[in-house]
Amino acid sequence: MKKILAAALALTLTIGMTACGSAKQSGESDAEAVKANGKLVVGITDFAPMDYKDDAGNWIGFDADLATAFADSLGVEVEFVEIDWDNKVLELDSKSIDCVWNGMTLTDEVTSAMECTNAYCNNAQMVILPKDAAANYPDVESMKDLVFAVEAGSAGEEEVTALGYNCTPVKAQADALMEVAAGTSDAAVIDALMAAAMVGEGTGYDNLTYTVGLNEEKYGVGFRKGSDLAALANDFFKSAYEDGSMMAMAEKYGVSASVIAQ
Amino acid sequence: MAILEVKGLKKTFGNTEVLKDINFELEQGKALAVIGSSGSGKTTLLRCLNYLETPTEGTIYVAGDKVFDASENIKLSEADIRERRLHFGLVFQSFNLFPQYTALDNVCLAETLKAKSMPDFAANKAKILAEIKEHGKELLDMMGLSERMNHYPHQLSGGQQQRVAIARALALSPDILCFDEPTSALDPELTGEVLKVIRSLAEKNTTMIIVTHEMAFARDVADTVMFMDGGNIVEMGPANDVINNPQEERTKQFLSRYTEG
Amino acid sequence: MSFSEQFPIVLGSLNVGFLQTLRLFAITLIGAIPLGLVISFGSMSRIKPLRYLVKGIVWVVRGTPLMIQLLIIYYFPGLVLKNAIWGSGEMGRFFASSVAFIINYACYFSEIYRGGIEGVSVGQREAGLVLGMTKSQIFFKVILLQMIKRIVPPMANEIITLVKDTSLARIIALQEIIWAGQSFLKGSQGISGVIWPLFFTAVYYLLFTGVLTLLFGKIEKKLSFFK
Repeated sequence: MKKILAAALALTLTIGMTACGSAKQSGESDAEAVKANGKLVVGITDFAPMDYKDDAGNWIGFDADLATAFADSLGVEVEFVEIDWDNKVLELDSKSIDCVWNGMTLTDEVTSAMECTNAYCNNAQMVILPKDAAANYPDVESMKDLVFAVEAGSAGEEEVTALGYNCTPVKAQADALMEVAAGTSDAAVIDALMAAAMVGEGTGYDNLTYTVGLNEEKYGVGFRKGSDLAALANDFFKSAYEDGSMMAMAEKYGVSASVIAQ
Repeated sequence: MAILEVKGLKKTFGNTEVLKDINFELEQGKALAVIGSSGSGKTTLLRCLNYLETPTEGTIYVAGDKVFDASENIKLSEADIRERRLHFGLVFQSFNLFPQYTALDNVCLAETLKAKSMPDFAANKAKILAEIKEHGKELLDMMGLSERMNHYPHQLSGGQQQRVAIARALALSPDILCFDEPTSALDPELTGEVLKVIRSLAEKNTTMIIVTHEMAFARDVADTVMFMDGGNIVEMGPANDVINNPQEERTKQFLSRYTEG
Repeated sequence: MSFSEQFPIVLGSLNVGFLQTLRLFAITLIGAIPLGLVISFGSMSRIKPLRYLVKGIVWVVRGTPLMIQLLIIYYFPGLVLKNAIWGSGEMGRFFASSVAFIINYACYFSEIYRGGIEGVSVGQREAGLVLGMTKSQIFFKVILLQMIKRIVPPMANEIITLVKDTSLARIIALQEIIWAGQSFLKGSQGISGVIWPLFFTAVYYLLFTGVLTLLFGKIEKKLSFFK
């Protein structure tokens, strides 16, 4: 019995180590592999105005258009795949996708797990409150007794934890909003870009409002750890910014104020 | 010539000797009753004859042909065993009718399956099936069940179920029909109808081995009675002699429990 | 956007998701019902190493969460074997989900079958044997229907659980009905921050399990002609 246990343990460890090792050692060029494959597989979630579907069912948005242009510059097709955001690193390492391009905040965790590009877009973490309670909480200090709903692993969670406030991690930013709407949490912290689209008059959450920004942060694109595609994407950003095409896309989706000069 | 001859039959389960050197013969058309307390080996003997158990030692002859020999160390094929097994029929204590078939289908099933494996079946399908059905009806009629042919087992009384089981065992015309305590699972008021049927089979000179606890029945219906104890045949002889005038002390003791009880 | 404008869009999206749910449900049954029988024979085999191997597999599959099995089956080939056999598209995710569900449910079914087969009394087998029937005749003509009658209630239970378990496949981003319902929370097709589609998916599950319950009731009734 002991021998079997030992063998099973050894096997698990071996598999575990190979899995870890795989992320670090990338002998072959990712760019070459993508070119040979003829397509760049982009992991996304439905996240207006960065990645969302038009009426015909095609993926559009600031990020989607940028990703398409980047694939063009490589001479390959682009393929968008909806993923579970929690599993983005798994998806990359298992080569189900080549990059995540979905308004991803560059945090320490993200940059250590992925090969990230330079920042290309500004964002902030916004506090969401019920409209009728908003007046009671004019600043960050006044909110110390609230319970915050945040997306697990998000920049918002990092901020709330750093403040030492009470927080409940949920699966998605949208779930965090639902927590506030349902009264199960007092407040939520989500991306400013998303808050603008989803909260307030004329949205599904017209009884919620956003008040205070907790921090400034930046969006980047994530590739597999060690991938040479990140450098190519940086080159692409530079040229697209210089020839004005990047700003044109940003204007189309109303995010031009957030674009970062390359 | 004897239809059945059993020589030096032994059966052990692990370290337990259940049958110790069993030797007997049975004449064609005769009925043999096997009596003895539980654990004496009676049921194991029947199960050995029907290939439900493999004897450890000994030989079995049917009509002079050797059908089993423990010393021949050959593993018989499934088909061989099936063919040899058909010399015997077995009626179980707990009937074991197939619940999803009607009484008639229970009787006809084995014969139908056998016919289907014959090369000429496809050509004469309707005729063969009709014959089998006719045969089944006759058998159930003989059991007094012509009104119950299309009933399912759960719609029949225990006694009726056991009579269907007897018809089913007769359907393949075995040389020797074995009964394993056929009335033990029945309410007392239902044993009569089953015993009556067995009695009528004896009157038609069906070769039978009946393991039973009904002493009066054994005496009246069987030609020969065998008393078993501890895996041995203690006494065997004409039914009347063994039941009414046993010679062995152990037989006397066994029978006295029945007359007292 | 008013509710009456949202409703057709949401319904269309939920229908697409539900179709994916149904597809996964159907392929799991088609694969797991026969595979379960093979596994149950394996777990009753007289060959000891085979029996232990099969029982070991059943133990592992029943002893670990289906969600982990989905993750392993979808990501393991790419992570460890450096070969992402499933591909990244919806089709690849569907195949990986199917494989995980079929294996998982076949193991559960095999235990139900084993109980069903072992529950048919030895006497039935012996009655077939003394009537000169072959092993396969005994199984198909005598045991099978009695076994089916025994396993219908536990199978109905398991199959209704399967309907709801299909929602686990969204861990590898299979876009089944709950995924579709949830997408309107964060925003999809111009509708964002809408909660009701997620809860409305329950109506689909309820209707479908209702149909299945009626169906199994019919089967049980059909098999009630014998006891």
